[in-house]
Amino acid sequence: MNHETGSIPPPPQEPDVLRLPVDAYIMVSRVLRTGLAAGVALFLLGLATYLVRHPATSVSQADRTNPLLPFLNFSDLLHGLAQGQGLAILTLGVFVLLATPVARVLTGWYYFHREGEVAMGVVTLAVFLLLLLGLFVVGPLVTHLG
Amino acid sequence: MDILLYAVLLLVLATAAGFLGSLAGLGGGVVIVPILVILFRIPFVIAVGASAISVLATSTTAGAAYVHDHLTDVRIGMFLEIATVPGALAGAALTVYLSRLDLDPILLITLGVVLLATVPGSFLHRSEEVPEGVVPDRTSRWLHLAGTYFDRRLRRWVTYRAAKTRQALGVMFSAGLVAGMFGIGSGVLKVLALDRALRLPMKISTATSNFMIGVTAAAGASVLLTAGYINPVIVAPVALGTTAGSFLGSRILPGLSNRLIRDVFLVILVVLAIELILRGFGYA
Repeated sequence: MNHETGSIPPPPQEPDVLRLPVDAYIMVSRVLRTGLAAGVALFLLGLATYLVRHPATSVSQADRTNPLLPFLNFSDLLHGLAQGQGLAILTLGVFVLLATPVARVLTGWYYFHREGEVAMGVVTLAVFLLLLLGLFVVGPLVTHLG
Repeated sequence: MDILLYAVLLLVLATAAGFLGSLAGLGGGVVIVPILVILFRIPFVIAVGASAISVLATSTTAGAAYVHDHLTDVRIGMFLEIATVPGALAGAALTVYLSRLDLDPILLITLGVVLLATVPGSFLHRSEEVPEGVVPDRTSRWLHLAGTYFDRRLRRWVTYRAAKTRQALGVMFSAGLVAGMFGIGSGVLKVLALDRALRLPMKISTATSNFMIGVTAAAGASVLLTAGYINPVIVAPVALGTTAGSFLGSRILPGLSNRLIRDVFLVILVVLAIELILRGFGYA
C-alpha cells in the first residue's frame, strides 16, 4: 500500500488484527523477484548453451524421461556447471525456481518468529518441513512404486 | 524434428497460452498439459512436470507484485498451505504411480473432466466485494486470521476476518491434490475456499490464491523431480514462454481483458478437454 501519497488515512486500530511489519512484505516480494529472475536467466543461458552445443540432438533424445538424473547429485552438478554443460545449467535453473517458494516460506517464518508470533511460526515451519518431505521422502519413495 | 525448431515451437505455443490465459483470467497453466500431450506427444507425467514449473514461475511474477502492494494475506496464505502442500504431494505421487502402472488413460480422462469443470467454475459469481457479518471461528481467532487493506475504489480501509477455517482447509487439500496431479494452479478451487469458506474480500482472495500457487506447485514439482519426471529441455522453453506471455497479458495489454477473450480461451479449453477424454478412451 502506498502510504506516501498522502491521500490514504492511517489504518484503523483493531486489537485482533496483527500486522506483519512493512519490511516483511518487501523482503518476501524481493525473495520472489530475485528467485524468478535468477531462474529465468539460468533457463535462457542453459537453453542457449544446450542448443548451440547439441544442435544435432533428435527430439526423441531430448524427450527421454530424465536427462537431469546425472545432475541430481551436488558434486556432479558442480562438475557439469564447471564444464559449461547446458543440461547442468538448466538443472540449476529448475533448482532455483523450486527453491524460490521454499525461501519465501522461510522468510515468512523468520518474520513471524521475530515478531514473537509462536503459533504462526509453527505453522510456517510445518509448511517448510512438508516441502522437504516432498523432496526427500515422497519423491524418492514413489520412484520405487509401480 | 530439429531440436531448435522444437524448442522454438514450445516457446511460441507456451507464450500464446500464457498470454491468452492471463487475459482470460484463468492462467495459461490449464492448457499446457493438453498442448504438450496432444500436439507434442510428450508423455503425460513429463508434461505435468513442465506445467508445474511453468505455473510456479508465472505465479511468482504476479505474486511478487501483489505482496508488494500488501493485497496478499501472507498469514492466511501460509496457514492454508498446511493443506495444499500435502494435497499436492499426494496428487503428484498419484500421477507418478498411475503413470508407472501404464494407466495414463485414467489421467487423461480425469484431466479432461477437471478442465471441463473449470468452465462453469469460471462463470461462478464471486461473492460480494467486501463480505459483511463474518463470524470468525476458534482457529481464526487463535491465529489472528484477519487483516485490513485500503480499498481504492471504496476509498476506505476494510477490515476482514476469516470464517470456517476447517472447511477451507478441506477445499484447499482438494485444490492441492488437483494441482499436484496435473501441474495446474487450481485457482478456481482456491478462490472457492478463500471466497466462499473463509469469506475474504475479493481482492484479498485473488492475491492470496496467487501467492499460494507457487508453494503448491513447488511441492508437486519436487516429487516429480526426484521421481525423474522433470525434463529441463522441455521445461525451460515452456516456463519461459508462459511467464513471458502472462507478463505481457497482465502488464502491456490490461485493457484487452474482456469477455470475448475469456470465451475464446474457454472454447479452446473445452476442445482440448474433449480431445483428452477421447484419447483416454482410445478414440484419437
